[in-house]
Amino acid sequence: MTENMIICRCEEVTYKALVETANQYNCSARELKLRTRAGMGYCGGRTCRHMVDKMAADLTITKQTDITLKYQPPIRPISFGHLGADES
Amino acid sequence: MNDVIMIGAGPAGISAAISCAQKGLEVLVLDEYLEAGGRLLGQLYEEPNGSWWNGISESDKLHRQAMNLGVQFELNTPVNNIEKLGDHWIIYTENKTLSTNHLLLATGAAESPVPVPGWTLPGVMSVGAAQVMTNVHRVKPGERGVIIGVNVLSSAIAMELKLAGVDIACMALPKMNAITNQQAHPKKVLDSLLHVSHMAPSQFVKMGSKLMKNDFMKKLGVSFYPKNGVTMWDIPIQLRKAVVNIYGNKQVEGVTLANIDTNGDLVAGSEENVATDFVCIAGGLYPLTELAAVADCPFYLIEELGGYVPLHNEKMETPLNGLFVAGNITGIEGAKVAIAQGTTAGLSIAQHAGVDGLEDEIKESIQVVEETRDNAYIQFHPKVKKGRKKVQDRWGNYVGTVSD
Amino acid sequence: MSRRVVDHPVLGSLNEKEPVSFTFNEKKYCGMKGEPIAAALLANDVRTLRHHEEKDTPRGIYCNIGHCFECRVTVDGKQGVRSCLTPLEEGMVIESGGQLPTPVRDWRSSHE
Repeated sequence: MTENMIICRCEEVTYKALVETANQYNCSARELKLRTRAGMGYCGGRTCRHMVDKMAADLTITKQTDITLKYQPPIRPISFGHLGADES
Repeated sequence: MNDVIMIGAGPAGISAAISCAQKGLEVLVLDEYLEAGGRLLGQLYEEPNGSWWNGISESDKLHRQAMNLGVQFELNTPVNNIEKLGDHWIIYTENKTLSTNHLLLATGAAESPVPVPGWTLPGVMSVGAAQVMTNVHRVKPGERGVIIGVNVLSSAIAMELKLAGVDIACMALPKMNAITNQQAHPKKVLDSLLHVSHMAPSQFVKMGSKLMKNDFMKKLGVSFYPKNGVTMWDIPIQLRKAVVNIYGNKQVEGVTLANIDTNGDLVAGSEENVATDFVCIAGGLYPLTELAAVADCPFYLIEELGGYVPLHNEKMETPLNGLFVAGNITGIEGAKVAIAQGTTAGLSIAQHAGVDGLEDEIKESIQVVEETRDNAYIQFHPKVKKGRKKVQDRWGNYVGTVSD
Repeated sequence: MSRRVVDHPVLGSLNEKEPVSFTFNEKKYCGMKGEPIAAALLANDVRTLRHHEEKDTPRGIYCNIGHCFECRVTVDGKQGVRSCLTPLEEGMVIESGGQLPTPVRDWRSSHE
């Protein structure tokens, strides 16, 4: 049951997928994210980022303060229409 | 262009707006929520003197005071990016782009979850969600719920739900896994609750204060923890039971509880189902720092403050010129501390904007922040003062490095 | 509307706001003007706000303050609107999202 538990709700990435990826690649949180898509969904990782950070810190040999997930704009989803909108 | 823009209309943002406006600055406050007040809106607890701290009326008071001073509010306005362009900060919202010389980030906190199988089902929500639904919008999250995660925030909200007539079947721990290991360990949870025992005038506390004299006794406290839990405000608190699953076909129908040993490991064959129509997930709060991060403000992980916080000094300045922070973005604390920090930030901003003679007032306001912290009814982390000291030390190191 | 907290021992009785009607997935409901869409729907016992775009699992409110985007719906034709912080207005046409084709994901598993 725990294995199929969702960690990233937006991209439906499971606990199992994250544990296996962390064990196999012994990687940073960023790599864990890029390999599984955890934290790359609609909410921008606001819900799961600490879980992904924690798994990377606890299950791999990287140190917690090494490379955590970064933030990049836009921090809220915006439509292409609004992105390219005429200010006037 | 505005003199000052505050991002976040919570206690910190509004109180900063008030102190800036009192010094004659033109202030605009942005927030993505539909009402002003931020997380203060949902708060409701009885103070030691018997009066009630009512977040809705406190928010309303702050909001009115700010409006009377001419502060502009734009709600339902999410900010998706900020950047520095010369002397200006540029703020991007969905519909327009704003600029200012002085920007305050008062974006507050977000909830971190404890994942439990089945937690994506409709009817499962963060404990803060249930608080806002019940106290602010006056809609019950359900008729009978289970709260997963026993901590300061969830204990306070459990009482609030009870007050509104929502039945809480129990509060229990999440099942142990690589993510929940801190919140699923009975002894660690008990430890973390000791400093808030004054909030629970019940058997829980009496038991706590007598048994928790030393580590051995603490362990006993968990070992002999009553099988049916102890009750706080008539809500059973289960430190020896964990939720192993949330079940339901199209929405929540119940949770499966199992007994756990003193280390949080499951006792095989002890599973039981509890029927509920909603479930709250309570993993605590972390500072919501995304805008400070996209602005390239330096960050430090300070456990005592709830996570990564942007570097700042006592005057609520960041190392980036014209960028200020206040409230839970600087560390998880109560609304009263956020209001006090907001005042300091507002005065600092006014000083930056050229208002003379504020040095003493700023010093006094920093003093008020500390006094408010010392007298806080709810303390999210017992060592918050140590966390604050760490940030000041980091600031000293950073400023030293830059000037070298 | 038994889900409304009409009387509260500390907060007092509920200030009745102007009632408005709206539709959700073509069904008609009543709510209070200006309250969040998600609150109006919950008061009507509607918990499922959308289905996951890929796996079709049902979703409702999660954080209720705009952080998680789980409660997103389509309002008067605009997609991705957070129902937890969008004020309800008379005559709103609200629709939930559902499963979408996912050719990229289907392709990925055979090319790892």
